[in-house]
Amino acid sequence: MSAIEITSVSKVFNRGSANQVDALVGVDLSVASGEFVSLIGPSGCGKSTLLRLIANLLEPSEGSIVVNGKSPEQARLDQDYGMAFQQSGLFEWRTVAKNIELPLELKGWGKSERRQRALEMLDMVKLADFADHHPWQLSGGMQQRVAIARALAVQPSLLLMDEPFGALDEMTREHMQSELLNICRAQGTTVVFVTHSIPEAVYLSNRVVVMSPRPGRITRIVDVAIEGERSDATRDNTAFFAGITAVREALRGVEMNDHIRGIEDR
Amino acid sequence: MFVVSLLIVAVVWEFYKWVGPADGGKVFGWSLLPRSNDNAMPHVWDMLSRYGRPEVRGSDREIWRVVLAGAWFSFRLALVGFVLGSTLGIALAVLMARFKVAERGILPYLVVSQTVPLIALAPLVVSWGGKLEIFGYEWPRWLSASVLGAFLAFFPVSVGTLKGFTSPPGASLELMQSYAASWWQTLRRLRFPAAVPFMVPALKLAASSSVIGVVVAEISTGLKGGIGRLIIEYGRQATSDPAKVFTAVFGAALLGLTMAGFVALADLWMMRNRPKETAA
Repeated sequence: MSAIEITSVSKVFNRGSANQVDALVGVDLSVASGEFVSLIGPSGCGKSTLLRLIANLLEPSEGSIVVNGKSPEQARLDQDYGMAFQQSGLFEWRTVAKNIELPLELKGWGKSERRQRALEMLDMVKLADFADHHPWQLSGGMQQRVAIARALAVQPSLLLMDEPFGALDEMTREHMQSELLNICRAQGTTVVFVTHSIPEAVYLSNRVVVMSPRPGRITRIVDVAIEGERSDATRDNTAFFAGITAVREALRGVEMNDHIRGIEDR
Repeated sequence: MFVVSLLIVAVVWEFYKWVGPADGGKVFGWSLLPRSNDNAMPHVWDMLSRYGRPEVRGSDREIWRVVLAGAWFSFRLALVGFVLGSTLGIALAVLMARFKVAERGILPYLVVSQTVPLIALAPLVVSWGGKLEIFGYEWPRWLSASVLGAFLAFFPVSVGTLKGFTSPPGASLELMQSYAASWWQTLRRLRFPAAVPFMVPALKLAASSSVIGVVVAEISTGLKGGIGRLIIEYGRQATSDPAKVFTAVFGAALLGLTMAGFVALADLWMMRNRPKETAA
């Protein structure tokens, strides 16, 4: 069964006014259960908008979206997905454990169950010793790990991430990527991952969706053909470099097409 | 530090009394310099020793007891006013945050309300005393003073809290939305805690405002028992007993400081889990 089914979706902001923006036009995308899909493209290509449409934080102007066989709204109400942003968005007045408990609290879990799950999640992201610290006492990478633990606390089948490692340094970033893959593999989680980084997209994904701006649309979907489980060794793999080249060319094609069209328009 | 600054103020006071002109002075034709005679500026030690003497000749109650009792009376009124005003202020902020229409409809009235002079309002509110009945209870006169304290206190709280309610970043609101959290759940778990740093200075302002409101209400209506009444009574006797009025004025200052002190303690408690501004 496919986890996400997007059919000819468009999103227009400020329709009819002078500053109308065609954020997305005619997007078709199907994400299989357990698959890791990255959305990549220059700023303004609508990748974050697409993620928010799946999350039901925005409504599509046209087309249909099905998440886990339901409407996105139902999926949101059922907390079928967890979400993580570039800013960890932890609540500074809550301890690390209490931050992870937040979605469980809203689901109406009991106190001891919540605490137990939070500790399990902290164990998973290797922060068990920091349960009763406050977020500001943690480094940026640790905060992002807490945010991921929070997103996974309800054990969602789907994880939606909007440049979650964008603010981290390169070393921490690679480390976090490996950890994310381990966690998702263990839980069988489907992931839709928005990023600016080509190596990040290739390393993490089964498929990389390349998007282009004005209007936002999908220009190509690159299959990443890396055999077996990915580890740090993957980063030296020829298949990894082949993937990077393919995505880069797809992104260049985006620029070139724009260029050619610019000429034709004249 | 506070004690040191008090000492400095006392020294400056005495120094001016020593060098200043006894009957006031003119600078370029303007009467600018205050008179420094014993009637206008009693010696610091006269003020202090006045605390130890009886309120009126022949009474066995030293004046510090009277002033303290008055301050305690006013403190209770101010406390009621502070609690009433803060509650009202937070309630209004919730209403305004919940309904944009309410914000547009209410906020201008809040601003206007603070431009009405308290002195004009005081007799009106005090006249409710003994006339109004709420749920079978007669409206007590002291409550009018508290209401005037609340009238000054609610404004900073409502504006500060409203500002705090709108402070969380979009990502946090999206997060709550992704959890399918209701508006009230978002208020309780996100907007309210995020508003606390905005509420703390507002509450400090409200604490001192409620004291001012109560003292002014007492002065302008002559409500008995409080520090405001003592200030006018003693003020009338200033020519014969100049140090007396200062004992009551210091009592009012002590009252304001105590109130501010309580809010400062509450501040420490509320902000105990927040990042410290001084942290490196």
